[in-house]
Amino acid sequence: MEMNFNQHISGQFNADLEAIRNHMMGMGGLVERQVANAIEAICSGDTRLADEVIRREDEVDKLEVAIDHECTQILVRRQPAASDLRMVLAVSRVVRDLERIGDEASKVAFHALEVGDSANTQLCQQAMRYMGAEVVKMISGALDAFTRHDVEGAVEVVRTDKRVDQQYASALRELITYMMEDPRSIGQAINILWILRAIERIGDHARNISEQVIYLVKGTDVRHSSLTEIEEQAKD
Amino acid sequence: MKRRRSAEKRFRVYGLISVLFGLLCLVVLFGDILSKGLAAFSQTVIRTEVVLDADYLGLNKNSSSDEIRAANFEGLLKNHFKEMVQPDGRKERRQLYSMISAGAAWQLIEAVQANPGLIGQAVTFDLIADDDVDQWLKHDRGVEGINTRMSEVQIAWMESWIEQGMLTTRFNTLFFTNGDSREPELAGIHGAIKGTFLTLLVTFLLSFPIGVAAAIYLEEFAPKNRITEIVEININNLAAVPSITFGLLGLAIFINIFGVSRSTPLVGGLVLTLMTLPTIIISGRAAIKAVPPSIREAAFGLGASKVQVVFHHVLPLALPGMLTGTIIGMAQALGETAPLLMIGMIAFVVDVPGFINDPSTVLPVQIFLWSDSPERAFTERTSGAIIVLLGFLVVMNTAAVMLRRRLERRW
Amino acid sequence: MSIIENHTTCGSPLVESPKLTARNVGVFYGEKQAIFDVSLDIGSNEVIALIGPSGCGKSTFLRCLNRMNDTIDICSVTGKIELDNEDIYDPKVDVVPLRARVGMVFQKPNPFPKSIYDNIAYGPRIHGLAHSRVDLDEIVEKSLQRAGLWNEVKDRLHAPGTGLSGGQQQRLCIARTIAVDPEVILMDEPCSALDPIATAKIEELIDELRENYTIAIVTHSMQQAARVSQRTAYFHMGQLIEVNPTDQVFTTPEHSLTEAYITGRFG
Repeated sequence: MEMNFNQHISGQFNADLEAIRNHMMGMGGLVERQVANAIEAICSGDTRLADEVIRREDEVDKLEVAIDHECTQILVRRQPAASDLRMVLAVSRVVRDLERIGDEASKVAFHALEVGDSANTQLCQQAMRYMGAEVVKMISGALDAFTRHDVEGAVEVVRTDKRVDQQYASALRELITYMMEDPRSIGQAINILWILRAIERIGDHARNISEQVIYLVKGTDVRHSSLTEIEEQAKD
Repeated sequence: MKRRRSAEKRFRVYGLISVLFGLLCLVVLFGDILSKGLAAFSQTVIRTEVVLDADYLGLNKNSSSDEIRAANFEGLLKNHFKEMVQPDGRKERRQLYSMISAGAAWQLIEAVQANPGLIGQAVTFDLIADDDVDQWLKHDRGVEGINTRMSEVQIAWMESWIEQGMLTTRFNTLFFTNGDSREPELAGIHGAIKGTFLTLLVTFLLSFPIGVAAAIYLEEFAPKNRITEIVEININNLAAVPSITFGLLGLAIFINIFGVSRSTPLVGGLVLTLMTLPTIIISGRAAIKAVPPSIREAAFGLGASKVQVVFHHVLPLALPGMLTGTIIGMAQALGETAPLLMIGMIAFVVDVPGFINDPSTVLPVQIFLWSDSPERAFTERTSGAIIVLLGFLVVMNTAAVMLRRRLERRW
Repeated sequence: MSIIENHTTCGSPLVESPKLTARNVGVFYGEKQAIFDVSLDIGSNEVIALIGPSGCGKSTFLRCLNRMNDTIDICSVTGKIELDNEDIYDPKVDVVPLRARVGMVFQKPNPFPKSIYDNIAYGPRIHGLAHSRVDLDEIVEKSLQRAGLWNEVKDRLHAPGTGLSGGQQQRLCIARTIAVDPEVILMDEPCSALDPIATAKIEELIDELRENYTIAIVTHSMQQAARVSQRTAYFHMGQLIEVNPTDQVFTTPEHSLTEAYITGRFG
């Protein structure tokens, strides 16, 4: 009997777990790039980039189905318990969140095409840039925390989400002011609103991912908890 | 690969050869015994009509048994044969008389005792012939140049009797109803069988309870320590002790110290008990060990005490095995000669023993005694007795197997 | 791998109203110590699963609870085990009634080579529970019903118990244990020799029995422990590592050894 707790008796089991995590990371990388490209497309008015984001959305969907299938396989074949069980469940949930992020990214890209390079592109430009950069950081931060089992990193993502939410609220107020000033721009403003809303949702999903990191490491389910509760959980 | 295969083949051939050799030995042994011994089950008789002359015998229809026994039936027979063949001179007369067994007169006595009404009548008897006549008829007749104990004139008489249908063979009931005798044609194994039966009865009654009790104690109750270990080793060694040693022991202890009368089934049984005990204990312990521990556990788990576990569960399950071991031990005892020689069961005993304190002999010893006798007819009887003994052994071993089959339950 | 120095059991080994309490129990086979300082409560009407790698002492511990280890000469038990606050290792305690109160079901179905009826009736007979034939019939029927076997065997009560299928035999053994009306039932890997359907039936039965009895079950199947028990105790090298509610043990075990065992990282 060997005291190597990192290795299963079954090497195949190890490999399977390793595989879903790596596939999830690969998917995460793709989704992260999608988000970055969508933001870039909207900010620079690059319609080609936006087209590409929409085109690659399909890839993300396929990855979700494939990884979910792998998770099911592990559940059926290995009946994982404890940390393995949490790993499989977390991956399965993270993959769903990643797919949603992918959806939101393609939504952003879609609206980027709508908005085109019309005069009002400048509207809320800064907020979009700022929020976009934040959520991209959040996605990579959550995924890093996942690989490193880093609870503190996960909590940091939750904190960032809070900032993004504040940013969203203030951008919303800005848009409302703008629409009141100039009712002709309402159509355009609603497009911008959708984009901001999508970016904010991406932030929420990134937060969900980091909550799964806490579940993975601590075993406590912190979904739908406030930041202070999460910080509390992360401490002990 | 090729070499391994040929080695395998070679080994199989060796095995087959040894099995065949064993079978061959068995066939030769059985063939020899059967060919010699089967003749013992038939007996030559002289069928003749004897006039039971009331005047000569001095008897009448109301004579008592004692009077009949005292009457001169032997003389009557001698006269009967003298008149029949007209021997010439004393030598021939003596030769004639020697052809009729001493038991022939007893045949007449018994017949008359059973029915005194026969006196004065002419009655046909199958009179037992002497063993020399018997052997001549069975083996020597018509064989050229054989060295027979019969003289020319005797042979001439016999040939004429055969022509008249007087000299025939019939099934030898005497072999099974008589005790031992100096006269081969009268010697039987009844006494030996009864002695054997009584001896084995004593052996069984003593060794089975003692053996089973010892096996249970050693297996279930005895603490596992040095002393029990020594006891165990000694029991195993006891099974390997030469049997004649047990005879010496019996002689020294039972006869000399306890004063049990010698050559009785009682002392024989005691000695054989000593011999069979190790077998029974060892097989009994094996049978107890074979009872699955799960049964014990189940009973313990229900709160049964040790004694309850042993008597409700272990013993019933082990009993078939114990019985088989016992029967095999008894079969061993059945064939044992050496220890019985030491305690005097080799004595020549004519009477059939009635109870365990009557002097008696047993089958294997009887065989030993007869095989030592010079008469040719005894050789035949030796083999006959061996056949009977083997028959008993086969029956006992079959019984052991059948008993186990019937009682053994799967668990 | 060696024992852990100064280990205290993780989780909640003690409960509010225990049926059986073990305090600082140690078991020795001659010189060799098999159980180290185990303290564990078994609550009324709960099913507690004892899990752990082979040779971890879970069966040994289970057997201490009705003094089955008494049958092994060299085995000695230290510490204290109480059934309803009564020390079962007190020299004044008679094991016969104790084993009637704390029944045991074994790994291999081990019906006596007797009829189904006699198998069940044996316990009541030796404990004098039945005063008449009618009483006995009633006990046999009730026990078989409780073990869910009555309908299958009612027409052949006098057929040999060994003629039943493995699962039926095991339920017969459970019925036999129930027949002496125990308070606690100890089960030592009761399903390890059974097929999945028979196993499912036994598990169902365990769930039903929980209403009336307290059950401690040793199992090698973690899934089984997860399915049938309310609390799970993990043994390792003779030490009680962790005791926690079953769902917690199987999702977020406290101790890394428990984690390693139930995730299959050693075994």
